[in-house]
Amino acid sequence: MTKTIMLSFFVFFITLAHAQKVEFTEYNLDNGLHVILHQDNTAPVVITSVMYDVGGKDGPRDRTGFAHFFEHLLFEGTENIERGEFMKIIPANGGTFNANTSQDRTYYYEIFPSNKLELGLWLESERMLHPVIDQKGVDTQNEVVKEEKRQSYDRPYGKFLEVVGENLFEAHPYKDTNIGEMEHLDAATLEEFNAYFDKYYGPNNAVLVVAGDIDKAETIKMVKQYFGEIKSRPAVERNFPEEEPITETKKVTAYDANIQIPAIIAAYRLPGQATRDAFVLDMISAYLSGGKSSVLFKKMVDEQKQALQVQAVNLGQVDYNIFALLALPLGDVSLDSLLVEIDEEVAKMQNELISERDYQKLQNQFENQFVNSNSSVAGIASSLATYYMLYDDVDLINNQLDLYRSITREEIRDVAKKYLSPNQRIEIEYLPKKDDK
Amino acid sequence: MNISKQKLVAFIGVTLIAFGASAQIDRSQMPEAGPEPTINLEKPKEYKLKNGITVMVVENNKLPRVSYQLSIDNMPYVEGDKAGVASLLSSMLGNGTTTISKEDFNEEVDFLGASINFGSSGGFGSGLKKYDDRIVELMADATINPLLTEEEFQKEKNKLIENLKSNEKSLDAVSGRVVGALAYGKNHVYGEFITEESVNNVTFQDVKDLYEMRFAPNEAYIVVVGDIEPKDAKKQIKKYFGDWKKQDLPNISAPELTENVSTTEINFIDLPNASQSNISVTNNVSLKQNDEDYFASLMANNILGGGGEGYLFKNLREDKGYTYGAYSSLGASRYGVSRFNASAKVRNAVADSAVVEFIKEIERIRTEPVDPETLKSAKAKYVGNFVMSLERPQTIANFALNIKRNNLPQDFYANYLENINMVSTDDVLEASKKYFSVDNARVIIVGKGSDVAENLDRLGLPINYFDKYANPIEKPEFKKELPEGVTVSSVYDSYIKAIGGNDVVSKVDNMMMKGNASVQGMSLSFTRKLTKDGKMLELVQMNGNTLSKQVFDGEKGFTAAQGQKMDYTEQQVKDAKIMSGLFTEQKVSDSAELTGIESINGEDAYVIKLTDNVREFYSVDTGLKLATETTAEQMGQKMTSKLMYGDYTDKNGVMVPMMLSQDLGPQTIDIKIEEVKFNDGVTASDFE
Repeated sequence: MTKTIMLSFFVFFITLAHAQKVEFTEYNLDNGLHVILHQDNTAPVVITSVMYDVGGKDGPRDRTGFAHFFEHLLFEGTENIERGEFMKIIPANGGTFNANTSQDRTYYYEIFPSNKLELGLWLESERMLHPVIDQKGVDTQNEVVKEEKRQSYDRPYGKFLEVVGENLFEAHPYKDTNIGEMEHLDAATLEEFNAYFDKYYGPNNAVLVVAGDIDKAETIKMVKQYFGEIKSRPAVERNFPEEEPITETKKVTAYDANIQIPAIIAAYRLPGQATRDAFVLDMISAYLSGGKSSVLFKKMVDEQKQALQVQAVNLGQVDYNIFALLALPLGDVSLDSLLVEIDEEVAKMQNELISERDYQKLQNQFENQFVNSNSSVAGIASSLATYYMLYDDVDLINNQLDLYRSITREEIRDVAKKYLSPNQRIEIEYLPKKDDK
Repeated sequence: MNISKQKLVAFIGVTLIAFGASAQIDRSQMPEAGPEPTINLEKPKEYKLKNGITVMVVENNKLPRVSYQLSIDNMPYVEGDKAGVASLLSSMLGNGTTTISKEDFNEEVDFLGASINFGSSGGFGSGLKKYDDRIVELMADATINPLLTEEEFQKEKNKLIENLKSNEKSLDAVSGRVVGALAYGKNHVYGEFITEESVNNVTFQDVKDLYEMRFAPNEAYIVVVGDIEPKDAKKQIKKYFGDWKKQDLPNISAPELTENVSTTEINFIDLPNASQSNISVTNNVSLKQNDEDYFASLMANNILGGGGEGYLFKNLREDKGYTYGAYSSLGASRYGVSRFNASAKVRNAVADSAVVEFIKEIERIRTEPVDPETLKSAKAKYVGNFVMSLERPQTIANFALNIKRNNLPQDFYANYLENINMVSTDDVLEASKKYFSVDNARVIIVGKGSDVAENLDRLGLPINYFDKYANPIEKPEFKKELPEGVTVSSVYDSYIKAIGGNDVVSKVDNMMMKGNASVQGMSLSFTRKLTKDGKMLELVQMNGNTLSKQVFDGEKGFTAAQGQKMDYTEQQVKDAKIMSGLFTEQKVSDSAELTGIESINGEDAYVIKLTDNVREFYSVDTGLKLATETTAEQMGQKMTSKLMYGDYTDKNGVMVPMMLSQDLGPQTIDIKIEEVKFNDGVTASDFE
């Protein structure tokens, strides 16, 4: 059987994806709670979720890790839900739940069969209105969080982000780990926890999303009934110090007891995720390491066999993105030579336009990613909350692809040139910790 | 209750009744649920091709995408001393075809924004609707006419070996490997694992042979899900996979169940860099999805450890704070070969306590009938998850595939919810007894031995030790990492400083200590005399009668007890020469060796090995000497005993331990020192 590739055929075969516009309704309650509803009655599933505008970066720097700690505390119970019941009620009603915290925000959600919508609203409103924060809960979760930290940081390459953060940032709280210092949590008093809750967990500092098999009018009524009585709080003000631009390469060494193969990381501090440049950098990272035919993978892993892995990551954050190039050597290849190879490709991007075909490839990849991002109501809810709170533009749920499409090859070159030179970064040699060190 | 048979009730109507426009809510009460939503259990469209392929199609037009899943229904296959061959085959597949170079193939897949990946018994392709035809074409070509080259083989082999290396110290990787290997056996298809050695045994020919053996349409299923009409999907599959020829395949026998251990035992694997211990309590089970007690066993496992509401999580995380999560799983397989496994990662210091709690909770579900409310909740969880899983169009395809592959009745999923709801508390108890073992389980612990191992003894279970590759070993010595710069002489310096300093200590020529101990109601007195030049006397008396006496005069010595006198052996003389004397730490003997850090009663201590039979322990924290351990051979058996030093008190400027604890077999004798004299009360005749 013979096969011929008709590459040119596909280049002219680009159509827009029509079918998937996500309709949504948004409004504010009197107490400032922002509400977004998305109705999709094709499957009997509903998600209720709340994103709070509080993350690892918030709070005094001798009390790091509070937002994540609250992710645990706020499952302990409320005035109407006894300790431990939260995690029982949800599965007992056929639902699932979880929560996660980043440097910028905290996200809590439950997914239920759609006849349990009201239950989801009750749970989230209880959590916002009057959670019980007491010493017993604090003590238990303190131990649990320590185990979580061991589990997530004490594993091979688990300290990447920590090392990048502490070296890339000097003044901005992104310098501290999201999970925080355990000494800070040990020293924290109940009063401090309560004050933190009062400051950051008001309805006017949150967005509620209800998505799935709902009736809009009824949902609006129920939302008001459950969340309307929660009092608004003084607006949260943030004045994080700004970082000075990096103009000279900073070299550091870090150690990890759980690895045997070293790694090299080159990390850049870049404009926040909502900026146009950040979107351009998404495309740059995809060009460099997205897929087997990407330039870095093809050259370093495949052809020259120098790297076990190579990746360009554009980690989105509100105030500054972290753009990191990282590679693990194969055999005796030196970390320096890995960096040289990476830099060669970055330099090409800075001086030449990527090919028309590569540009089209990126467009196809982002289209595929866009289509898949809206495949579940849970995914849609998370995107709606994120675009509202962190991008200040809910319409991105439908427009994001257009934004990528509007980015030109010239822009890709210019952004690479503007941000990705060696003197603008830190270089981290990430080494195995020997027994005697 | 059978949800699937209920009529659809419009959600809107119900909520209107429940919430009249001005109704006040009572938030002290959990809201009532609306009526159960009706579920619609469609069946995929199914076609059979001549070459054996079954095509199943689920059309779903919500998003402009299509996916293709190829599953070849192969029997599990033992890789043996060539473990890794299947992994190599999967990574080599999907990189070109006999007519499309690797470079062109990968470039085109990426260009389409698609993904095409292979395992050793199938593959998965997905992408945008507008490119679906080409995606299937590429996938079929890569399946039927793969490009397998020696060069690619070498490259993947190197990468696999490096990947093994990069996971060498990973707690998860080591645990995953040894738990399977110990439970099933290293030569069992579910217990074998890949090592650098086994990868090196694999040849390029092995990979090609494996491809021939595993990739055939005879028993293949292709599941198509997405924005495509079933007849179009069938046409596509027929067009591109239709020419794939049937093969004669070797007969492989089904896996067999490995017997459980005859009594519960601990298997310990030391991973010195681990900051947590991974605990698995596991036993093998014979459970199939079409067994009568399958649904009861699902409920039992869920109640024990299915999630945040399970017995294990509630106890180990929410009550004790030992772990980030504790769960259990119970496998079912069509061969009746699977495992029950309860596991958690806990901090090393509480590994022993965590084991106690694991066993307690397993015992609880085996003996106590579950609270009916708990069972009701567990059922509701399964019902809800079942309903919600239908949001994914893949679900009904998976159901159909599962029925075929596991020989389940056609109505298995149609009756699923009904069967869940029929499970009784008795059923749960029976299933727990049958599938969760406390008497024939392995408790497999991977953790930092120097923090964990000592505490495990108290569990009273037999302990076997294994290396990171599940090979049995003797009990290892568990060492902690020594900080940089610590040597025998630095440990000695700290000790001398801690007891008063060189100046004070040097002025002591001899020393006498007297104390009392109570042993089984008898009061013993104890005298110890030491001189700077290496003489030693130890006397144990009861009511003035000597029970035992040990003397060493610097050259020779003896032990006298119960009227018998035995001269020191050559070895004893040698040991005594090194050990006797006062504050011998003032100089470093040639044979002294710093071997590591061990824990003595929870306190970290530097271990200095003086001779093969004597080790001394010095507190990392205070510098003080904590213990002397001696090993003696008696009737061919090695006996180790420790003399512990405690309650250090200032006597004329020298810190002296006023409590000596000698362990003798299972018991400990505490000697309380009453009198200490320096340069007084010692004469030469004491050592005759």
